[in-house]
Amino acid sequence: MIDDSRPIFLQIAQLIENDIVDGVLAEEAQVPSTNEFAAFHRINPATAAKGVNRLVDDGILYKRRGIGMFVATGARAVLITRRREDFYEQFVRPLAREALKLGIDGEQLAAMLAREPGAASLRDVQQKEGAI
Amino acid sequence: MNRAVAVARMQLINKWTFLGIPALILLSSFALTLAIWAMIPDTAEGAKYSGAGQAVMWYFFALGLQSMSLTFPFSQGLSISRRNFFLGTVGLFAVVAAVVSGLYVVLGYLETATHGWGLNGQMFALQWIAKQNGFMQMFFYFVLMMFLFLLGFWGATVYKRWQATGMLLACIALAVVLVGAVGLITWRGWWPAVGSWMAAQTPGTTGLLALGLAALLGAGAYLTLRKATP
Amino acid sequence: MSTPIVQMSNVFKRYRALTALEDINLTLNQDKIYGLLGRNGAGKTTLMSILTAQGFASSGHVNVFGENPYENEKVLRRICFIRESQKYPDDFHAKHAFKAAALFYKNWDNDFALQLVKDFELPLNRRIKKLSRGQLSAVGVIIGLASRAELTFFDEPYLGLDAVARQLFYDRLLDDYAEFPRTIVLSSHLIDEVANLLEHVIIIDKGKIILDDDADNIRGSALTVSGTGARVESFIGNRTVLHREGIGALVSITLEGQLSAGERREAQELGLDVSPVSLQQFVIRKTLDAGAGLEFDAESQAKQTKKATRMGAIR
Repeated sequence: MIDDSRPIFLQIAQLIENDIVDGVLAEEAQVPSTNEFAAFHRINPATAAKGVNRLVDDGILYKRRGIGMFVATGARAVLITRRREDFYEQFVRPLAREALKLGIDGEQLAAMLAREPGAASLRDVQQKEGAI
Repeated sequence: MNRAVAVARMQLINKWTFLGIPALILLSSFALTLAIWAMIPDTAEGAKYSGAGQAVMWYFFALGLQSMSLTFPFSQGLSISRRNFFLGTVGLFAVVAAVVSGLYVVLGYLETATHGWGLNGQMFALQWIAKQNGFMQMFFYFVLMMFLFLLGFWGATVYKRWQATGMLLACIALAVVLVGAVGLITWRGWWPAVGSWMAAQTPGTTGLLALGLAALLGAGAYLTLRKATP
Repeated sequence: MSTPIVQMSNVFKRYRALTALEDINLTLNQDKIYGLLGRNGAGKTTLMSILTAQGFASSGHVNVFGENPYENEKVLRRICFIRESQKYPDDFHAKHAFKAAALFYKNWDNDFALQLVKDFELPLNRRIKKLSRGQLSAVGVIIGLASRAELTFFDEPYLGLDAVARQLFYDRLLDDYAEFPRTIVLSSHLIDEVANLLEHVIIIDKGKIILDDDADNIRGSALTVSGTGARVESFIGNRTVLHREGIGALVSITLEGQLSAGERREAQELGLDVSPVSLQQFVIRKTLDAGAGLEFDAESQAKQTKKATRMGAIR
């Protein structure tokens, strides 16, 4: 799960963010302790703490003295907004470039997206939007 | 707890090394000696001697070597200062040597009282020493054992610090000094004087001499150890 | 927040013709896990020996817990350094070694030691002399962990241990460190295995410290760009090249530094492949001269071996 491409504390922060976005960690739910993160991912506890603290600084998590870390209310919405901004850079651009290389035009690309089983639910996104 | 005392306790963790083996050597050499004496018929010439009593003393020489060469590196791993290692090890040995010396004196008296264990043997109460009072006997044995132990200890320290080259140089130096002394004595015709000086020695004076040498060895061992690496 | 507990300044160690350590300046802070990384014979053990007053520096200053450690019980009682080639008394069984350690470390945890004995399947009643290399390493690891000394050194602790036992060691180390934080120095040349455990990394090569930085600063501080020769070359411009290799028209170049989002996009558009460099790869690139060919490698290897042998002989 942990790789060499980026500092581990960033990867830990991202793993927690993923869990929040996926709903595995609900808002106001308690986040595992840094030592639990360290033991699970076999990483240095200080590094894990750095990742968690980054999310605290961002307002995604908050500390309750003597109890632990919790997901802030509204954290999911903040993360999703942020990720949408990255979506274009991370996914759409490489997709378009590869399509161009292979001579797939815009229509074909749209057809492919429609063929993707997950795409059916894409149409429902509009309704889901209200839930966020 | 004082760490020098802890060093002594560490040396005693394996009870065999400092206590079991010397006791075994003493007992077995004694038993063997008794068996041999029993086989030799009594003659009018006098007591049957045995040097087996020395066996334990020589073991202490080996112990001095070993407690340095193997326990010292381990003590360094446990972050024990060289000073405390020295104090603890030599201190423990002094206690053991004192106990063994006392035992020798007692056994010597017993030997005399039982007419050489009923076999007219002499293993502990050697004439030259047994004539002295108990305190002097004990002093003599004690110093002798300390001397042997420290000789082994210092030798191992020299080896630790300067390896084989150091040992070789130390041995050569010792040989040169001895040969030089013999040469000097011969050249100046001092042999008769040396002879009468040696004959005049008592266990007390020999003990004092050994004590001086042991103290010298102890100081030498400590100074060498101060800069030894495991 | 970080309290320095070890300071070395201008430390040199010379053996007749050989300089084993050259101008070492180093600070270790309290309660961090350090990786002391480098090749065999790079000077790792020499450095640790000097820090623990088991060995002596030729010149320079060493300060541990605010004082000179030499013959200083106040400092020494807070340190544990079982070396890779640790010698034990001839007649000692593993249980004797643990009993001895318990005499000297006030934080010694005997239950923990016994748990580790079980974990490592270490025979307690066998002479240490008769133990396998892995079991011997386990004895050292157990003393190092259970002593809970404020400053603990592990010198290539994994030698002879199989993959399961090594993982066990790393897990126990992390668990216990989390519960009882202390300063730990892990010397290793198996870098990938320990990389994630480290908070700070010190790389030593040929007696010199060539890198001293937080592990997370190093991670991602180099990357490999590969693709067709001309494109790669034009892309990298005048960046610092750590390593260069090629096969046919393909070139793979390891760069120091990071790429901005824009540069990543540019690389993608050029059809170049950008991949991360592991800490181990990074150390290898740093300790072998950049762009060097195979002949050079073989030569430096030979030199290194010779050096290691000589150091062994002198020790």
